[in-house]
Amino acid sequence: MTVLKTSLRNFFAHKGRMALSAVAVLLSVAFVSGTLVFTDTMNTTFDKLFASTSSDVTVTPKGAKDGETPQSGVPQSLPASLLERARSAEGVKSAEGGVSSTSVTVVDSGNDNVGASSGAPTIAGNWTKNELKSMEITSGHAPRGPTEVMVDADTADKHGLELGDELRTIAQTGDIKARIVGIAAFKVTNPGAAIVYFDTATAQRELLGGTGRYTHILVTAAAGVSDAQVKENVTRALGGTYKIKTAAETADENRKEVGEFLDVIKYAMLGFAGIAFLVGIFLIINTFSMLVAQRTREIGLMRAIGSSRRQVNRSVLVEALFLGVVGSVLGVAAGVGIAIGLMKVMTAAGMNLSTDDLTVKATTPVAGVILGVVVTVLAAYLPARRAGKISPMAALRDAGTPADGKAGRIRAVAGLVLTGAGALALYTAGTADQAGDGALMLGVGVVLSLIGFVVVGPLLAGGVVRVIGAVLLRAFGPVGRMAERNALRNPRRTGATGAALMIGLALVACLSVVGSSMVASATGELDKSVGADFIVQGSQRIVPQAERAMQKSPGLEHVTRYKMLDATLTSPDGAKDDDGVTAADPTYAEDLRRPTTAGSLADAYSTDAMSVGSDYADKHGVRVGDTVTVAFEGGKTAKLKVAAITDDDTAIDQGARYISITTMQKYLPADRIPPNTILFAKARDGQEKQAYAALKQALDPYPQYQVRDQTDYKQELKDQIGQLLNLVYGLLALAIIVAVLGVVNTLALSVVERTREIGLMRAIGLSRRQLRRMIRLESVVIALFGALLGLGLGMGWGTTAQKLLALEGLNVLDIPWPTIIGVFVGSAFVGLFAALIPAFRAGRMNVLNAIATE
Amino acid sequence: MTSAVTIPRHGSTGGRTAVAARARQVVKAYGAGETRVVALDHVDVDIARGQFTAIMGPSGSGKSTLMHCLAGLDTVTSGHIHLDETEITGLKDKKLTQLRRDRIGFIFQAFNLLPTLNALENITLPMDIAGRKPDREWLARVVDTVGLAGRLKHRPTQLSGGQQQRVAVARALAARPEIIFGDEPTGNLDSRAGAEVLGFLRRSVDELGQTIVMVTHDPVAASYADRVLYLADGRIVDEMYQPTAEQVLDRMKDFDARGRTS
Repeated sequence: MTVLKTSLRNFFAHKGRMALSAVAVLLSVAFVSGTLVFTDTMNTTFDKLFASTSSDVTVTPKGAKDGETPQSGVPQSLPASLLERARSAEGVKSAEGGVSSTSVTVVDSGNDNVGASSGAPTIAGNWTKNELKSMEITSGHAPRGPTEVMVDADTADKHGLELGDELRTIAQTGDIKARIVGIAAFKVTNPGAAIVYFDTATAQRELLGGTGRYTHILVTAAAGVSDAQVKENVTRALGGTYKIKTAAETADENRKEVGEFLDVIKYAMLGFAGIAFLVGIFLIINTFSMLVAQRTREIGLMRAIGSSRRQVNRSVLVEALFLGVVGSVLGVAAGVGIAIGLMKVMTAAGMNLSTDDLTVKATTPVAGVILGVVVTVLAAYLPARRAGKISPMAALRDAGTPADGKAGRIRAVAGLVLTGAGALALYTAGTADQAGDGALMLGVGVVLSLIGFVVVGPLLAGGVVRVIGAVLLRAFGPVGRMAERNALRNPRRTGATGAALMIGLALVACLSVVGSSMVASATGELDKSVGADFIVQGSQRIVPQAERAMQKSPGLEHVTRYKMLDATLTSPDGAKDDDGVTAADPTYAEDLRRPTTAGSLADAYSTDAMSVGSDYADKHGVRVGDTVTVAFEGGKTAKLKVAAITDDDTAIDQGARYISITTMQKYLPADRIPPNTILFAKARDGQEKQAYAALKQALDPYPQYQVRDQTDYKQELKDQIGQLLNLVYGLLALAIIVAVLGVVNTLALSVVERTREIGLMRAIGLSRRQLRRMIRLESVVIALFGALLGLGLGMGWGTTAQKLLALEGLNVLDIPWPTIIGVFVGSAFVGLFAALIPAFRAGRMNVLNAIATE
Repeated sequence: MTSAVTIPRHGSTGGRTAVAARARQVVKAYGAGETRVVALDHVDVDIARGQFTAIMGPSGSGKSTLMHCLAGLDTVTSGHIHLDETEITGLKDKKLTQLRRDRIGFIFQAFNLLPTLNALENITLPMDIAGRKPDREWLARVVDTVGLAGRLKHRPTQLSGGQQQRVAVARALAARPEIIFGDEPTGNLDSRAGAEVLGFLRRSVDELGQTIVMVTHDPVAASYADRVLYLADGRIVDEMYQPTAEQVLDRMKDFDARGRTS
């Protein structure tokens, strides 16, 4: 009981000192619960959407997956005759034929894409009664005839579309120009899909290339008949060659796909929350270590008057428990705020989310609080144990906190062994010749070297801080020297504080090395092998009308078509794979110069010939002249002669098997030939500039495609990787913020601990300004220590990752020195920033409090 | 007897006034209304240059407060304090800090030294902070006087209590301040180490012409001084020149008895 009472009193007596630890717990828990609330809310939104859009029973062609268009670019469909048969099935109230395609782009009269951004689909379909379950027409009327279209209200709002505006829907089968005659609004939240509706005949003709077919049949059950019963009846009526699902099954299938995507987001974000927790642990350990150190005499007294070790130990843990509970509860609340904030960000980015769907499952606060409390108590365990070990004699000893133990030999050995093992694992990873094994070793190496650095950190602190001091602090005279000594006086504390920062910065450094190596490798590869002047690709596979526009564009030497074909290959040794082949025009050999290890690529483009990659050739013993059996999906089976083996030491088209378009045409019926994935073009000599401008103009009506020359392509690549890195840095910012709080915490507690010292220095003439500078410099030194370790470690990881990924074509190691140096210098500023409040408080400290004899 | 004004004595260093510090009608009060506590009640005092002055008094008499105010560590409620010709009452923190750094030396009862600095660094700290170079010859003499030559590279934790206080004395002397304030400088020492430190203080007055003000409640320590001021209830109630330990003790017993009977 008394234990509880003392713990409570201590907790409240030091609530200021606990504040930063509580904030660290709060932030980490908030991120976790925010992630959970956000993804749960998204799931709710999608559940509601799918529940309202699914018809009682849906019939689709076998093999058709929602949201995925087959390689032809035209959705798979069903004969219209099925509709009558479905209608006549028992228990069916009504049935409708539905048409929908996600392989479309919708543009306004200014050729601006009005389709979905943010990864949601753009859907074109027919307006059916089933839609009325989830939508209502808010203005105008449903589309009738080939020139009328209806659009969803969110899209209309976002792009300022009104009745009477013209929309062009670009599908594989052609462009559909129509005027908006109606706007329909979702009754539930539609997170982002853009939808245009036509009447059934128009949709059939324009999206499927002919009437008499549907992509799906929507069946409504008669009153009192269960969906499952209707499904059974419809299945009996139609036969077993179709995919027939109840509303619940449709919703489940959709939900599963979205859920998988959301899970990826969830686990990625939880991963970053985990890193923040890890960093927070250091902060908590430091806080409790310092509180215990400052309370040494008090604890000694408790022991002297008869408290057992366990009681002392427990009293510290109980304090940690309070801290964990307070931090976590506030964190869960903040998490809901974070989720709402994320939804607002998503809304700003083009998604449509409603806080009405905000879902806080009971498990979220429970998980958040348990996690926060467990982590806090675990982190406090070591300091608590140390508190238990304080001897009763401490009560009698002189005041002041003993400069707590020099980092021991065990620590040195353990740290070096771990670091060594980590380095060995990294070396193994870097020299691995199998990407899979290497990745495992990389993971092991990263974890071991990180732990090793954390353990050995306090020992390194001495050396590193002296070096930083020698370089940086000399300029600041005695103030600099004192700052250095202060940073050094408790290596364990400095080590732990620096280590917290190290973790975040190591990840930043590692990713920046990998990212910039990716850019450098790809750019190098592009320079080396890409001969095409222009590259055209986009969010939709290239529709024939766009291809024609490109072919007609002036100033082009050639246009190369490039199609990916689904096919099953059988090698001479009998091994089968489904990796497909690539069909291209022979000019592709100029557009992408691929060195061959045998044969000539030009020969591979002759009829009934092909090329294979060197990895494939090695694995299956394929040589030039051998025959590979290629079963084209939806076409015939061909026996193709291997005419070239391409070198797989490349990042572009690694492992691709090339055939010519002519060969493809021989084995695939025209309606199964897929649209181009990408188009390449070469300008006539000396006309590059004009040709580029002309090509851009020719493709202006098709904003879903980007035309890029090599320079722009490289820039785009750089930008994309840059964006990805920025996103990750943004998420790592959380961990870095917690680490900065750690620096603030350490300094603040150090200032309290050194009250008398500070008073003494002030008494003998240290000015406020000098005092503040001393604390700032100490902070900078700690931050730079963490940065140095982190950047070093991270560059090691990044380099290893690059060596490993060299197997996948990441050939060039590029260390982004500007970023690394920027981060290093930035950490100095972070140090300055972290010292602001502690320095201010130290400056305000009353000199007399410090020196007055008790 | 509310004041004690000292007659200027001979032997002061040329140029400066004979009074190193003076306080006039100094009041220091804490709190307000009912809870108002007066620590110094209209104190007038002159500290003679080149003299060793001890301030004595029972706990709560205001002796430490007086020293803190004279040294510019604490502010006064009313009244004026001059250090030489400089009025320090009303000075801003920045000026006060400079004043302490350049013109005043301190020796505290405990925690005199920075644990991160070695003995020599501690001694030269005030000058380092000021960005001044220590006078080598003088420093050597000071170090020699306090007998620390062999221990300059030691950290405070490696020194005994007496040695630590000697380092503190050396620090106070090294910058040649106009005046040194000691707050129970021997309070934490055994009698032998205490005697040693007091001996140094005495010698620095006699041989180096240093002005020293020391707060103490130890009659033996006070007996090293040229003059003893007695404080009670925030007022100077008595003074004594060239005291011996017995005289001081008797006087204190006297006050004690008076305090009890009144």
